[in-house]
Amino acid sequence: MANQRFNISMKKFLSDPILGVIILLLLVGGVASFTVEVFFTLQNFTNFLSGSYFVMLLAMGMTVVLISGGIDLSIGAVMALCAGIVAKLALQGMSVPLVIVCALAVGAFVGCLNGLLVTVVGLPDFIATLAMSAFATGILFIWTKGTPIVGYMDETYKQIGGLAPIYREVTVPMVIAIVVAFALGAMLKKTKFGVHLFSVGSNRLATRQSGINVTNIRILAYVISGVCAALSGIIMAGRNTTVPPDLGGGYEVLAIAAALIGGASLMGGRGRILGAILGEVVLAMTINIINLLGVPSSYQKIFIGGILLLAVLVNQLVISSRTKILMRSTNKK
Amino acid sequence: MKSTIKTKTLVLAVIASLVTLTMTGSAANAIGTLKQDALTGTSATVDTAATDAAIRKLVNGRTIKLGFAPPILSEAYTIAQQGAWNQMKDYETRYGVKWVWTEEAPLNNAHSGVETTGFIQNYVAKKYDAVFVCSAAPAAVMQQLYKQGSAKGVEFYQFNSTEQLNQKSQATDATAGLSSVSNISYDNRWQSGALAAQYIAKELKGKGEIIMILGPAGSDWTKLREQGFRAVIKKFPGLKIVGAADGGYVRDKGLTAAADLLTKYPKINAIYGENEDMALGASAAIDAARLKHWDGKSGIITIGADGLVSGMDEIRKGNLTATVNVGYADMGRTMIRTMFAHKVLGMDVAKFIRVPTVIVDKSNVDIFQSQIKAELATKVKY
Amino acid sequence: MKFKNFFFRSVSITGVPIFGLLILIVALFQFVVPIFNATVGDYITNLVPVLLLTVGAAIVIIGGSIDLSIGTVCGLSAGITMWTLASGLPTALSILLGVATGTFFGLLNGFLITKFGINDFIATLATLNISGGLLIVLSQATELYGAESEFFTSLVYGSFFGIPTSFFIAGAIILLMQFLLLKTILGRRIFAMGNSGAAANVAGINVRNVKLATFVLSGTLAGCAGVLLASRLGGVQAFLGLGYEFTAIAGAVVGGVSLAGGRGSAAAALAGGLFIGTLAQGLQLIGVEPIFFGIVSGLALIIGVIFDQKIQDIGQLRSRFDSRVLAQPPRKEGDHG
Repeated sequence: MANQRFNISMKKFLSDPILGVIILLLLVGGVASFTVEVFFTLQNFTNFLSGSYFVMLLAMGMTVVLISGGIDLSIGAVMALCAGIVAKLALQGMSVPLVIVCALAVGAFVGCLNGLLVTVVGLPDFIATLAMSAFATGILFIWTKGTPIVGYMDETYKQIGGLAPIYREVTVPMVIAIVVAFALGAMLKKTKFGVHLFSVGSNRLATRQSGINVTNIRILAYVISGVCAALSGIIMAGRNTTVPPDLGGGYEVLAIAAALIGGASLMGGRGRILGAILGEVVLAMTINIINLLGVPSSYQKIFIGGILLLAVLVNQLVISSRTKILMRSTNKK
Repeated sequence: MKSTIKTKTLVLAVIASLVTLTMTGSAANAIGTLKQDALTGTSATVDTAATDAAIRKLVNGRTIKLGFAPPILSEAYTIAQQGAWNQMKDYETRYGVKWVWTEEAPLNNAHSGVETTGFIQNYVAKKYDAVFVCSAAPAAVMQQLYKQGSAKGVEFYQFNSTEQLNQKSQATDATAGLSSVSNISYDNRWQSGALAAQYIAKELKGKGEIIMILGPAGSDWTKLREQGFRAVIKKFPGLKIVGAADGGYVRDKGLTAAADLLTKYPKINAIYGENEDMALGASAAIDAARLKHWDGKSGIITIGADGLVSGMDEIRKGNLTATVNVGYADMGRTMIRTMFAHKVLGMDVAKFIRVPTVIVDKSNVDIFQSQIKAELATKVKY
Repeated sequence: MKFKNFFFRSVSITGVPIFGLLILIVALFQFVVPIFNATVGDYITNLVPVLLLTVGAAIVIIGGSIDLSIGTVCGLSAGITMWTLASGLPTALSILLGVATGTFFGLLNGFLITKFGINDFIATLATLNISGGLLIVLSQATELYGAESEFFTSLVYGSFFGIPTSFFIAGAIILLMQFLLLKTILGRRIFAMGNSGAAANVAGINVRNVKLATFVLSGTLAGCAGVLLASRLGGVQAFLGLGYEFTAIAGAVVGGVSLAGGRGSAAAALAGGLFIGTLAQGLQLIGVEPIFFGIVSGLALIIGVIFDQKIQDIGQLRSRFDSRVLAQPPRKEGDHG
């Protein structure tokens, strides 16, 4: 009886899409702790994690969109735009809660626009969100006229950006990331919307034919990703202490990579919030190890490419061996 | 109405004179035989009215079309542009020159510079008089374009560029193999990287450990600044560069890189950031690691390079120890002066004009920050 | 009546509406900025490498995958060509090595994706970093300029009947790809695979090999683009090509190539790439300030794609069913809301 229960939980564990990324983390982390002495210290972990919370948020939002079968290339630019809004409004003396509400509203609005363009107007998601990215960056460029927004920082924004902790090693970005992770995780697993989201991503036509409002669900996915980008932007404004117009460049690709390493699929219908978080941890850890090892900067890109390949290779290996194990355990019965 | 223009001119003249005063040697020499005072109206004793009138007659109300092609839109190039505009306004009021100014810059991907080649071809097609270029594209590529453009009557001036990386000797060829009329810049090795190293050496009295936050590998600016920095550090046996990381010229990456290196080397004495953004990122990393900023005796020195208003604010607050001010406003003004001297007055200008650079720390931040602020405050726009 | 049917059938072909729009904006720019005409030769010469990448991206996308590595692979190919030329290898060999670099990365991508089953986005993101990194290392180690081969420069700067040589080279390559996609068995299989990999598999198509072929094709095109880029620039810098992948993919999608796979053509990608490039050139000549450029081009992109889709929908509705447009099945569920 106990054995059977063990078998079931073992099966469940083995079939989890994030198993690969966990093994990868152990592998990379293990090698690093033996080769770099300061790697396995609390300070180093808080260090490189503190630089990754905002990408985690982006990756979580991206995961939701990916599950719905879409893609959101605008999140880097939306993050920068929301950081710009925080900086601008803070400069004008608006109170912190109001500033945050405004930034979140803009994130939700842009997400909603993305969703409408993709569903109602019927644009390819790639083009709609790429154009939105151009818009958001454009607005930031016009605002800033190419010169970074500065001078809005105070103690509160330092805390929001995680530059100053609220209690020992606990920082605001850490708390936000954890809260969002639990909220989104619960939403995906426990709510009707979550179930529908997976169903839309796996087979849109069938979902529609079963009477579910596919359009609304897809729009909501983009809104969630917009809000995540806004949260990320609020943190970024505090962390970067200045908002240059080209702040968001390239973060969307990082977020997609993190989500995919964490088990999401570009084909839709698959993805885990925890996977996205661990995926980003792998990416951040890679940069951390490069810096600690002192890899000459000209070789860094090759190194990053290698780790990415390793990441997916391990994932693939785990999947294939898992299938074998599962097959064997099924055959025994 | 007239009086406001006069006051404006006066203010401009005062600013210009300040800039000129701080410029020693090279840039002033570039204008050659033409008196600095005649161009800027510095001296109270020299009456420039006759010269101005003669130049006004020569200019005859013509329109000069200028192109400005920086590698990216950023604070540094905004300051350079404002400096250029202020100088143009000065010439407009004194000599009656009419200006057309068009800026073209890629919104991203500053480091390959290929976009700039298209901009230059467009400037040539539009028959502009002169184009100011700063691009990361290979020198050979740009020279080819300048050559083609010059044949069609467009003059090219490089600014803030890295031509020292592969310029030929001027011993037998005055052009040093370059087709640009003049190259207005500072030497990234000896006027930036080396200055930062000297400052660190002086403050630390030749003894200590240093980490470097570099720009992206493969960038010419990165290469040159690192060369100059390392060359000076080598002369001090007590100084040691213990680590280096890529900060990509942006603050967040600088912060992450510095935080990583500070974990490994918490006992370092100085951080060299190849630009101000990365140095400020490093400064935040020092705070996060609960380490101490330099107070003149102990703590960690953070030094950057650029000379931006925001950076100087941080120097005042003590978050940034020092920066290399490379004089972007001055560069902008010198661009216009050099072009005007060559294009309009037919003067010979130096092939390589180096604007003065200076280490700015708490002791002299007032001078240099007020200078940049004054340039930016004119609100002149073309 | 016959003409009407012909018209609607034509506009229902992928790429035709955007081509019409292209002609429209060309006319518009000629009217607004007369200087536009004089710059056509220059900007299209500059655009040629990106157009080749766009066609390569289209082939992979039609096959239902994505290739992010084409930009930096193109840069690395340019670097390799320049390096071998400057170190005195025969021009033909250098060109071959440049193209081979692209083919090699195409093979690598293809193997990673088909043999190891790695996700295409991640695999090509990894090779993007690797090829970009190799160019950095190469450019640090040696100067990538100073080739003294006239034949090499004439690849781009030579001309036949007043038309730059590179137009002929790129035109021939794109024509070949168009033929390959629409008239050969491999082409049909690429479309079948893009429409449904599982169905193609059931139908007895070796999906792995077809997928490998699409990546090899896009890699080789990136190699050709790199050689032409090196010939145009005469020198290569680190970071060359980074970001071209997005321009290329956007060009293909604007041309009507569906990211869901199974729909598009080389000519459609060409039209899309030309549309984006021409738009940028026109806006620059008009003198749109760089800070407004992002917004204006984003807006134009959206309008362009909406126009393309609506016209095609009308065309498909109004024209009678025709077996000749089978290669372009109607837009799939994946594109619609």
